[in-house]
Amino acid sequence: MNLENFLIMRHELVLTIVTLILLIAELSISDKSKHKIIPIAIGLFTINLIIGFLPTISGSLFGGMYQTTALQVTMKNILNLGVLVVLFQSVKWLKEEENKIKISEFFLILFSTLIGMQFMISSGSFLMLYLGLELATIPMAALVAYDRLRTKSAEAGVKLILSAALSSAVLLFGISLIYGTTGSTYFNIVGSVFTSNSLQTLAFIFFFSGMAFKISLVPFHLWTADVYEGAPINVTSYLSVISKGASAFILLIVLFTVFKNIVEIWQNLLYVIAVSTMTIGNLFAIRQQNMKRFLAFSSIAQAGFILLGLMGANITGMTSVVYFVFVYIFSNLGAFGVVSVIYYQTSKENMDDYNGLYHTNPKLSLIMMLSLFSLAGIPPVAGFFGKFFLFTAAAASGYYWLVFIAVLNATISLYYYLLVVKAMFINKNDTPIAYFKTDTPAKISLIICVIGVFIVGFMSIFYQYFQSIGFGI
Amino acid sequence: MFSTILFYILSVILVFSSLMVIFSRKPINSVLFLIVSFFAISGHYILLNAQFLAVVNIIVYAGAIMVLFLFTVMLLNLNKETEPKKSALVKIIAVITGCLLAVTLVGSLKGIDNAPVQDFSDNSIGLIKNLGKTLFTDFLVPFELTSVLFLASIVGTLMIGKKE
Repeated sequence: MNLENFLIMRHELVLTIVTLILLIAELSISDKSKHKIIPIAIGLFTINLIIGFLPTISGSLFGGMYQTTALQVTMKNILNLGVLVVLFQSVKWLKEEENKIKISEFFLILFSTLIGMQFMISSGSFLMLYLGLELATIPMAALVAYDRLRTKSAEAGVKLILSAALSSAVLLFGISLIYGTTGSTYFNIVGSVFTSNSLQTLAFIFFFSGMAFKISLVPFHLWTADVYEGAPINVTSYLSVISKGASAFILLIVLFTVFKNIVEIWQNLLYVIAVSTMTIGNLFAIRQQNMKRFLAFSSIAQAGFILLGLMGANITGMTSVVYFVFVYIFSNLGAFGVVSVIYYQTSKENMDDYNGLYHTNPKLSLIMMLSLFSLAGIPPVAGFFGKFFLFTAAAASGYYWLVFIAVLNATISLYYYLLVVKAMFINKNDTPIAYFKTDTPAKISLIICVIGVFIVGFMSIFYQYFQSIGFGI
Repeated sequence: MFSTILFYILSVILVFSSLMVIFSRKPINSVLFLIVSFFAISGHYILLNAQFLAVVNIIVYAGAIMVLFLFTVMLLNLNKETEPKKSALVKIIAVITGCLLAVTLVGSLKGIDNAPVQDFSDNSIGLIKNLGKTLFTDFLVPFELTSVLFLASIVGTLMIGKKE
C-alpha cells in the first residue's frame, strides 16, 4: 500500500491504529493509574482529527468497495469534531469511582463505532454499508449499558440491541432483494440498473425502513426515548448527535447516488415520514419533564427537518443537510453538555430542577439558552440558517405545503425550547441548584459549541465550501 | 430433474418447519423445528453449489447456536403461566398487518421478470479454495472490518461482565 492509498482511507486507518494503541495501553497501565488513559485517548484522537484535515485525495480502493471524495472526507471530519466535543464532556463522568475499571473500554468501543460510521460513509457497496452499520450499532449497545449496575442503563442496552437486530434484519432483507434483482451489491452498478418496478421498490422500502430505525424517524422511533433516557448522558449525546448525523449522511449519499432513478418514489415516501416525524416528535417533546427524554424527542423532530433537505434532491438539498448536521452537532452537544455538567454535579436532570438556574449559574444558563435557540432556529444563531437552507431546498423542489407544515412545527418546537429557557430565567425557586465550577474539559467543550453556534452561522465560507463539494440528482 | 424434485422436497420441509417454529406451544419444540429448518437450508445451499456454506451452516447454526438457544430456553424456564397475555386488539392488528405484508410481497413478485439470472453451473464455486480466494481478494475490506467488529464486541461483552 503506497502513501496515496493511505491518504485515501486515512480516517479509518488512523482511527483503527488509535484504537489498537489504546488496547495495548490498557494492558500496560496499572490498575491504580487507569485515569491516565483519558488524556492519552483524547490526545490520540486529536491527532486523528488533525490528520483528517490533510489535503484530500478522492478515489476508490479495493475494486470500488471503498470510495471517498471531498464530500465524504468533510462528513468524517464533522463527525470527528463532534466526537472530540463528546470526549471532553465525558471526562468528569469517567473519573468517577465506579467507572475506574472500565475507562479504556469506553474509548475503545466509542472509537470502534466511529470506525463503523466512517466506513459506512465511504462504502461503495451494500456489503460494506451493512458491516459498517453493524459495527456502529452492536458495540453501541455495550456503551448504552455502560452503567450496567443501574437497571435502566442495562435495560436500555437490551432494548437497543433488540431493536437494532430487528432493523438490521429488515435492512438486510431489503439488501438481499436489491442484490437478487440487480445482481450486484456495488453502488455504481445498482445505481445504474435500478428501476421502479414493484420488487425493487419494495426492496428500497425495506432498506429505507432499516435506515429509518437508526435515524429514529417516526414510525420507527419507539426505541429512542427509552434508550436515550437509560444511557449515560454522554453516550446519549453521542447517540443522538454523532450516530444520527452519520446515518443522515449515509442516507443522503445512498439516496442521491444509488436510488437516483427512483427519486419520485422516495420523495413521496419521505413526504409522509417527514410530516409525521416532525409532528409526533414535537408533540411528545412538549410533555417531557426529564431533560434527556426531552432532548430525545426534540432530536426526533430535528431528524424530520433533515428529511426536508433530502427531499429537495438538488445540490441545495445536499448542501443544506450537511450544513444542518454541522450546526446541529454544536447546538445539540451544547445543550447536552450543560445537562451533563449539571447532572454529574448535582444528580438532577428534570426541568423543574432548572428553575432559577440563571441566578446561580448564569454562564451555563446562557450557553443552554444559545444552544436551545440554535435548535429552535432563532435568527442570530446558526440553527436559523440551518433550518432556513433546508426549507429553501424543499421549496425549490416545489414542496410548499411541506415547508408550511415544517414552519408550523418549528413554531411548536420554539414553544418547548422556550419552556426550558423560561424555567432557567424566569421561574422562581427556593432551592435552586447552587453555584459550582464547571470542570475544565467540559468548559472547553462548551466554548467550542458556543463558538460553533456563532461562527458557522455568520461565516458563509462553510456553506460555500459544502456547496462546492456537494452534488444533486 | 432430480435436483428440481429435491428442491421442492427441501422447500416443503423448510416452510413446514419454519411455520412450526412459530406455531409450537412449547419453546423447546420451536427450537427443535428450527434445527430442522437449518438442515433444509443447508440442503438448499448444496443445491446452489455452496458446499462450504452448507457445512458451516450446520456446524455453527445447528450446532453451536442451537445449543445456546436450548440452554437459554431451559434457564428461562418458560411455560404457559409466564407467557405475557396479549390483548385481542393487538392480535387482530398483528394479523392484519402481517397479511398486508404478505400480499405486498406476493404482489411485488411481478417485478421479478427482468431480474438477472446468476450462473450456477460452476460446481466448484463454493469450495473452500475458491471461497478463500474471493474472501482475500474481492472481499478483503469487509473481511477485515468484520474482525474489528468482533474485537469491539468482545471488548463490550467483557466490559459488561467485568467485576468491580
